[in-house]
Amino acid sequence: MKDKIYDVAIIGAGIVGSMCAFHLSKYKLNIAVLEAGIDVASGTTRANSAIIHAGYDANEGSLKAKLNVKGSLMVEPIAKQLGVHYKRCGSLVIGFNEQDLDHLNRLLVRGKKNGVLGLEIIDEKRLHQMEPNVSKEAKYALYAPTAGIVCPYDLAYATCENACTNGADFFFEYKVDKIEKVGLSFSLYAKEKCVRAKYVINCAGLYADEIAGLISEKLPFEIIPRRGEYMLLDKCEKDTVSHTIFVTPSEKGKGILVSPTVDGNIIVGPNANIVESKADTGVTAEGLQEISQSAVTMVPNINLESVITTFAGVRSTPTSGDFYIKPSTKHPKFIHSAGIESPGLASSPAIALYILKLLEKAGLKLKERSDYITTRTKNGNCKLFCDMTEEERKRAIEKNPANAKIVCRCEMVTEGDIINAIHRPISAHTVDMVKRRTRAGMGRCQGGYCRARVAEIIARELNISVDEVKKFSSNSHILCGRTK
Amino acid sequence: MDKKLVIIGSGPAGMVCAINALKSGVAKEDILIIEREEELGGTLNLCIHTGFGKGNRTGTELATDLANQIKNYGIEYLVGTTVISFNKDKEITIVSPDIGYEKVKAEAIVLATGCRERSRGGLSIGGTRPSGVISAGTAQRFINIEGYLPGKKTIIVGTTNLALVIARRLSLEGGKVLCVCDARSKLQVDKKEIEECLEFFNIPLKLRTVVTKLFGKERLEAVELADLDKQGKIIRSTKRILKCDSLVYSCGFIPENEIASLAGVEIRKATHGPVVSKKLETSIEGVFSCGNSRFIHKDVISVMTDGKRVGKSVAEYLKKHKSQGGDGE
Ligand SMILES: Cc1cc2nc3c(=O)[nH]c(=O)nc-3n(C[C@H](O)[C@H](O)[C@H](O)COP(=O)(O)OP(=O)(O)OC[C@H]3O[C@@H](n4cnc5c(N)ncnc54)[C@H](O)[C@@H]3O)c2cc1C
Ligand SMILES: Cc1cc2nc3c(=O)[nH]c(=O)nc-3n(C[C@H](O)[C@H](O)[C@H](O)COP(=O)(O)OP(=O)(O)OC[C@H]3O[C@@H](n4cnc5c(N)ncnc54)[C@H](O)[C@@H]3O)c2cc1C
Repeated sequence: MKDKIYDVAIIGAGIVGSMCAFHLSKYKLNIAVLEAGIDVASGTTRANSAIIHAGYDANEGSLKAKLNVKGSLMVEPIAKQLGVHYKRCGSLVIGFNEQDLDHLNRLLVRGKKNGVLGLEIIDEKRLHQMEPNVSKEAKYALYAPTAGIVCPYDLAYATCENACTNGADFFFEYKVDKIEKVGLSFSLYAKEKCVRAKYVINCAGLYADEIAGLISEKLPFEIIPRRGEYMLLDKCEKDTVSHTIFVTPSEKGKGILVSPTVDGNIIVGPNANIVESKADTGVTAEGLQEISQSAVTMVPNINLESVITTFAGVRSTPTSGDFYIKPSTKHPKFIHSAGIESPGLASSPAIALYILKLLEKAGLKLKERSDYITTRTKNGNCKLFCDMTEEERKRAIEKNPANAKIVCRCEMVTEGDIINAIHRPISAHTVDMVKRRTRAGMGRCQGGYCRARVAEIIARELNISVDEVKKFSSNSHILCGRTK
Repeated sequence: MDKKLVIIGSGPAGMVCAINALKSGVAKEDILIIEREEELGGTLNLCIHTGFGKGNRTGTELATDLANQIKNYGIEYLVGTTVISFNKDKEITIVSPDIGYEKVKAEAIVLATGCRERSRGGLSIGGTRPSGVISAGTAQRFINIEGYLPGKKTIIVGTTNLALVIARRLSLEGGKVLCVCDARSKLQVDKKEIEECLEFFNIPLKLRTVVTKLFGKERLEAVELADLDKQGKIIRSTKRILKCDSLVYSCGFIPENEIASLAGVEIRKATHGPVVSKKLETSIEGVFSCGNSRFIHKDVISVMTDGKRVGKSVAEYLKKHKSQGGDGE
């Protein structure tokens, strides 16, 4: 193992790293994915708006614009291939006055130039037919029928699982802290451990500048951490809106949105505030108030009493304003992907292809393999019980009676689903890993009922005691010893 | 499988309903109780403390008593069996490791599915999201069923019965409860309970106090508390930080009606319970609701009264249904 030299090492298993692993694993290559967190999608990919933006936001001619439009069209087929929830729900940017209309017209022109299909400005009558709960004061909207929604972390899991099934090696809790060029390869250290590879992709998100620093390179811009806070509403509010609703943008960002999620909840947020620490994913009372107020302006009768959880994500905003995807100035076989702020998720499949091109240019040979497996595992895409048809449910229960035990009542997650998640290619061995893969604990009671049971199942399946089960990381133990 | 009366849920509401339907003339072989847990009893099975119904029994004692009555009367029941859906024709889909995936056709359905805890979403606490923050129901399961302590220095948010019971349990099991706080200025529970659960263990009760922020990246390390003024606004100068390793919240309960709303039963948004007639019949004919799934009751006595009422009215419904020619004729 020590002497193994990988063809490609990917630093960071966010959506960009995951997409790179996914695309690369179609070829005859040895791939290593090095992730600082305990799981795939430990960074920004875990907490964002989950919108597959159509592509009218980015400035014409920018790399962002190009990759957004291309990437957003690639998400749907990948989601289909890997059984990830995706929905083309369309988006509406609503305007209240003439000034807003001017802005919407500018977006329309820009979107058309960027190549976005089907964009149009609609009047208030059509807007209110499409969205009866949107404020009656809204007079116009920019309608983008190609915009969609996806489950961002599941897209990352799915692509990584597929890569893993096709032979990629994953190293978790592997925080790269030293890089040396030894002969023709790079030695990537994390404390005493070392992984060697001929080509390296830096997809460390907010920390991409620090990785560059490890090879004594300074990126030509700075990464500013800008936090966005969110509220998630109960599924019983699912009829609030059926499209992603934005307000006309300000300098601060695309503005706050109210949108359905692929799982049937309503998401509200994000604001945009610069924070000191890149790891500051806390929420604040003030922030939640700010997004509540915006949400009410857009959708006056939105029921904010039914918030089931709040969270925040941190954008890696580059001072240069565009994605930076380039080989290192020192080593042509070391590719940086940095400053991937929104719409990084929507662009991610295209970002990965762009990186593959750069790798090829640097000399990497891409030879297709004949034994490529198209699904997440050798046995398909691990469909969850709640997504199955009646026939599939019957068969699933016949095959494994654990599928007839409902563990999470809110989201109808079975013990079979949880056991599968624990034994999938990238094992879900913490309560949060199980939660994000199965939705156990993501519903209205937020694990009030099932968290203890999930911990019990993990303990049983992995042959450890319940108090060794973690919530998400090494020190996030759930219990504090035995009772008296 | 065909059954005249299917009762979903075997908490006190469901069991009392079954007994009363029987007493009101429904034959024992025409009744089926379906319960997803391995035992009859519902929430009562988690309650090892006293205070349940007449005679001040423990929850588990009351559950055993009711379950014995069901068994002695010969009323049929399925445990370890979950109803995943039903429709307007009262065709019910059940799943269980033993029987697999099955349909049951009923003439009448009683929803006695109880309730679940509210999440802490509504509390809007700022800060990080470490482990060590759990609901009172989860704490109860860890302590009473698993025998594990969820924390050694705990802050409790909320003053529901359940919150107080957990405060006491934690103290008895070797944990320390630093305080119990609630945003409200008046309590919903009896003075006696405060005495028994808090004062006896010297646990301070802090009303009009909220947790505003959590600290700790992995495991909870501390919380920020603040007092509220008369208008419910945070008094900034009272913000203070308390070191602790766990926070147990109890934000009340929500009736459980997922399968009912999937079937098209009209649900009242304010209470999350179904809209019912005087006979406790929901918007779907022949589908009734009782207990905590109808609305959150004050105590188990009122839940049982509700079960009794629905048992009688569903028996009347079945009689009328039969005299009108019943199904499919
Ligand atoms: C509030 C908000 C809303 C957004 N909304 C949208 C949206 O609606 N649509 C959209 O398209 N985009 C959106 N985005 C942007 C999108 O989320 C990001 O562009 C995308 O997730 C970035 O992915 P990434 O892989 O570059 O970074 P990340 O997901 O952050 O992944 C980087 C990974 O690298 C790991 N890492 C870091 N340092 C090291 C190290 N030294 N060694 C090993 N591993 C390391 C991290 O743990 C992390 O897992 C939003 C972002 C935010 C914050
Ligand atoms: C900690 C705690 C302390 C309490 N203390 C007291 C007290 O001191 N005194 C007092 O009087 N009361 C007390 N109560 C309240 C009392 O326990 C409840 O009011 C009572 O149990 C509610 O009865 P129920 O039948 O409506 O619901 P539950 O007892 O909750 O029963 C509902 C049953 O339905 C089952 N079910 C739900 N959906 C399905 C489905 N789809 N398929 C199959 N089965 C299903 C559930 O598994 C459950 O067993 C306490 C409650 C708690 C939680």
